[in-house]
Amino acid sequence: MSEFFSTYGSLIVSMVLGALLGLSLYLPLMTGQLSLASPGFYALGGYTAAILSTKVFTSTSDLFPIPLLLIEMVIAGVISGLLGVVIGIPTLRLRGIYLAIATIAFVEVLRVLSLNLEITGSAVGIFGIPQPFQTQIEYLWIALPLLLIAMVLFYRLERIKVGRAFTAIREDELAAGAMGINPTYYKVLAFTLGAILAGVVGAISAHFLNTWNARQGTFDASIIYLTFVLIGGSRTFLGSIVGGMVFTALPEVLRSLADTGGLPNWLAQFLRDGRLIIFGLLIVVGTIFFPQGLVTPDILKKRKVKNKQI
Amino acid sequence: MDINLFLQQFLNGLSIGSVYAIFALGYTLVYSILGIINLAHGAVFTLGAYFTYALMGGTFGFNGLLANATLPVKLPFAIALILGSSLAGLVGVAMERIAFQPLRRKGSDPLLTVVSSLGVAVVIVNLIQYLVGAESYTYPAGAYGSLPASINFGSPENPIPIRSVQIVIFVVSVVFVAILTYFINSTKYGKAMQAIAEDPTTASLLGINTDGFIVLTFFISSFLAGLAGTLVASSVSIAGPYFGIAFGLRGLAVIVLGGLGSIPGAVLGGLVIGLVEAFVPGEYSGYKDAVAFAILFVMLIVRPQGLLGRRFIQKV
Repeated sequence: MSEFFSTYGSLIVSMVLGALLGLSLYLPLMTGQLSLASPGFYALGGYTAAILSTKVFTSTSDLFPIPLLLIEMVIAGVISGLLGVVIGIPTLRLRGIYLAIATIAFVEVLRVLSLNLEITGSAVGIFGIPQPFQTQIEYLWIALPLLLIAMVLFYRLERIKVGRAFTAIREDELAAGAMGINPTYYKVLAFTLGAILAGVVGAISAHFLNTWNARQGTFDASIIYLTFVLIGGSRTFLGSIVGGMVFTALPEVLRSLADTGGLPNWLAQFLRDGRLIIFGLLIVVGTIFFPQGLVTPDILKKRKVKNKQI
Repeated sequence: MDINLFLQQFLNGLSIGSVYAIFALGYTLVYSILGIINLAHGAVFTLGAYFTYALMGGTFGFNGLLANATLPVKLPFAIALILGSSLAGLVGVAMERIAFQPLRRKGSDPLLTVVSSLGVAVVIVNLIQYLVGAESYTYPAGAYGSLPASINFGSPENPIPIRSVQIVIFVVSVVFVAILTYFINSTKYGKAMQAIAEDPTTASLLGINTDGFIVLTFFISSFLAGLAGTLVASSVSIAGPYFGIAFGLRGLAVIVLGGLGSIPGAVLGGLVIGLVEAFVPGEYSGYKDAVAFAILFVMLIVRPQGLLGRRFIQKV
């Protein structure tokens, strides 16, 4: 068992973080807004933690104190949330593809800034970020409770007034407005909550990866998180969690599949080096055959009905 | 800024702006017909550069599946440029068939089509990496025949040298913008395309083969992307499979600035962004990549329909 955890520990933690990132993109999507800003806030949260832990909270002990890590997570969340409000208010007047483009622009501007500023370590980035744990798997002590709390909150959110307002705006913004729901307020709220979540995950990831640079928040990252949500399922938060976990694990699964032996040489090599080609094909096939993603509310409902019959 | 430097930067900006323009024209054509942004446009840009490179007799490096391969042909630049771009156009047609048509048939949300195009981009970029590796390639020497490296636009006492490559890029781009404008505005096929852009259902009721024209649109769009890719690569060398990604994002800035779906808008947007980038002072050159996006961001907030775009009417 311990061998399993030492081999796959880092992958398991990555999967949990992937699920959380998927959720951060799912939040604005709950109101029907395709925002690709998550990687920007993720990068920002990571830089916040990286700068704080290497320049401000310098401790002499071997392991970075966990309370300080929690403080960093809170600070990262607050900074991302504030920027989320500032960016959200003007951009959320835009719809559909315009919003997607505006958020791509936001992520690119942040990326270029972090590449050029001294405080973010310019092109090299920040490395030697102190570790709060002895092994990678122990990051689950932070990441897993966060995911569980997020799941409980999302479960509640989909059943209270705020969540219903989100769905109403997604289905028909004008009608929702006519019903007395303030679309701008709820859209900015959903966007900001997503920003906070991405920022907090960034703070954990910076420690987890030990190094942080401008490559963390790129257009590629936007695509990958979008895949989590859209292929996982964009109509229920469980879809984002499943998508985040499966798509984070997929490259590793393909790699180990290639190493099993017995496969023709070309196929093994393709599985090893062509992982991202398979990834891209899955996006295309997924959008055509599973437009609502793999995990849909219908699937969940059917299961419930079956259980009752038994 | 002294007048010579100003003129030099102006001409550089004009040259890069004209490539932005033809690249963005492809984007905007697909948008005006289908109402979607094809995010694989930047990947096709890269493909065009590689096709032309191969057709000119370029050898691939040792990193991919095609290590040290060379085509048996060795075409002159002008012919390779057209053939390579046409191959990129055919890729566009295949892409439409595989990733766009099934979604259109089902009447899916246009945003899903955008995601599907992202999938295509991921496939193309990684396929290139798989086949030819991630190294940079320089176009074979003599691509531009016997042209001198630079041409002097000033007087002998007051020289304003411009690289010949820049002039070739500018001339080729202007020629293709002119051809496309003529095609769209003055031919039967162009008018049919305009009709489809206006209202696909009515157009097909009037006997226009909508599907056929969508294929044609994808061919032209991807041809222009491949052309732009080749032109840029001939000036800076192809730097791996990710060569077109940044360019693709900048193309987004160009079309939004000009007005989504507007052809003159794409040309104007390309020139504006090319010129503004050329005038970023040297000491801030690190921020050059953010200029287009900063302009885009401000534009979206101030005037989302773009410089020449139509104000959108919300349908209830």
